[in-house]
Amino acid sequence: MYARKGYELVKDFASGEKGQLQHFNEELFNQVVDQCTQHYTELEALIRKMQEESVDVRETRNADHYGALIHHLSLIRNKRCLMAYVYNRAEIIRNLAWNVGLELLELPEEIQEKFSDSEKTYFGKHSAALQSYMADLDIDLNVDMVPPKDPYIKVRVLHDMGEGILLSDKTANLARHSMHFLKRTDAEQYIARGLMEELTG
Amino acid sequence: MASGNGSVSMMDDYETLISTTDVELLKRAWRNEKAAPEILQYETALIQRIKEQIQLAEQNVEIFESNGIGSLTVSLYQMDLDRSQFLLRSYLRIRLQKIEKYLFHILKTDDQLNRLSRQEQVFARRCTDDLGSHLDETVLSRLPDNYQSVLKQSVTSEEDDMVPAPRLDTFVVCKARQYLSGLDFEPEYSTEIAELESDLLTFACYKFIKKPFEKGMIDLV
Amino acid sequence: MANYYDIDDILVEEEFVPLVFHKAVNGVKVDESIEKSYIAQGSKLELPFWLAHELHLRQAVSISAPACFNQKTRLEIQADAACVDLRSRCLYFYKFGCKLAPLCDKTIGFLLAYAFGLRYKEVLHKAHTVAFTAASKFLSRLTKEETNLYEAAQSSMMSFKKWRMGGPRLHRAAILGRKRKVDE
Repeated sequence: MYARKGYELVKDFASGEKGQLQHFNEELFNQVVDQCTQHYTELEALIRKMQEESVDVRETRNADHYGALIHHLSLIRNKRCLMAYVYNRAEIIRNLAWNVGLELLELPEEIQEKFSDSEKTYFGKHSAALQSYMADLDIDLNVDMVPPKDPYIKVRVLHDMGEGILLSDKTANLARHSMHFLKRTDAEQYIARGLMEELTG
Repeated sequence: MASGNGSVSMMDDYETLISTTDVELLKRAWRNEKAAPEILQYETALIQRIKEQIQLAEQNVEIFESNGIGSLTVSLYQMDLDRSQFLLRSYLRIRLQKIEKYLFHILKTDDQLNRLSRQEQVFARRCTDDLGSHLDETVLSRLPDNYQSVLKQSVTSEEDDMVPAPRLDTFVVCKARQYLSGLDFEPEYSTEIAELESDLLTFACYKFIKKPFEKGMIDLV
Repeated sequence: MANYYDIDDILVEEEFVPLVFHKAVNGVKVDESIEKSYIAQGSKLELPFWLAHELHLRQAVSISAPACFNQKTRLEIQADAACVDLRSRCLYFYKFGCKLAPLCDKTIGFLLAYAFGLRYKEVLHKAHTVAFTAASKFLSRLTKEETNLYEAAQSSMMSFKKWRMGGPRLHRAAILGRKRKVDE
């Protein structure tokens, strides 16, 4: 069936857990691109045949015309699948920048591995755009993701984060399992990255 | 009876006073922005004022702290400050995320572009370039010439048929600030919506109420 | 096409519809079952909606309703809408129906509205009352659209409970996937 590969690519995206990135499926992706080229070759062949028979390519509605049409439509369908695959992945990548960190290195390795090269570049450029917006306004938008209640919260450190970490109002030794009373805006990003958890009660 | 009336009108005054503070105005703008499917007009003057107020409050908190004023007082001020800051950040964030989502649509018309602040416009342009070159490198440059546009499916498309746009026919929950008659709505929707009671929570299609909403007669919830 | 990049929309359009060709077509092998790369006028085929729709616009084919909207399904829906397994018939029953109705059979619209009205009530009811483990059988009958509604109802209920109970408000970003056990 025509454009079936494109469908499989989109299906591959949809089968992942919602909002989470999977490995860029290079192999299937390239197959879809090849199919596009294939359709175009066949489309051109049909048009050429019509020209050789000196029928009016624009006006004639013969069997060759409909053949060319179907190749054109299949190409467009494949293009939509390819674009949607990349576009929707780009959306997840932007969400990572919002929710986890603006530097590629701040993302967990297993996530970085899932990016294609172009996606890595895109992530970097997009983060830079966000950063320069924030610098322009002199406001940090990556904190305060949920409505605040208390300025300070109690946290427990889940991963060894080292000594003398610089926070906005003090430096702290964030050893694993240690508990701290931190400014909410300081702790927020660490919690989002899974390095700390909030304690209540 | 008379005293009763007096307190009612005093309450009213108080309500109006409270509802016109900048923080309340920001809360309203934030709620509207959050609930509307499309990007709204940027509140230039309001945001400027809020930013100045936040700066002032930050200075105050610092002064209080250095003067050794009771920590309870300071932390109350701090909490109030935190709330305004959250509102401001969230407001700006929602807008940026809408811009990210409807980039190509927003950059297409001046009407849309003019709703953005200057900084947002810069951001939108950069995003479009970045996303554009990413799509180009990954997909478009590998397709046949006639199919390389990011706006048109192929050269035979008569219009930009690839541009994602916000759906104005989604439903929103809203509340009219005053009684609205049929005249306040777009005539083409007169069969759909004839009036809106004041202050009554209503479930309505966004495009039906778009006109009075943009005039500030309706709030989204 | 405002939903050009919409994943669900792309998937719906892959659903097959039966059609009859009014024109002959040369140079295509849309299907493995076609031996020569030629489709004769009057051929009956099943093609995905995205292709069928465009050909229909150009009056090259006529479309008839696919099996998921046949008489049998209609009767079952009339008998007890809430119990019909729509998922196995078509994952995107409503979206597909909406796209199809203007092209082949306007009565599909009534069928959709009728089925949705009854089933929506059931979905909401179950979402708020049935424990997740007990719901799996019921969930397996729902279309994608209904599953989304079910999940929305559940998540709003959960947020409400969380709000009422208090507790930590900051969490590890969901986008990072499920939490791995930190090795002790």
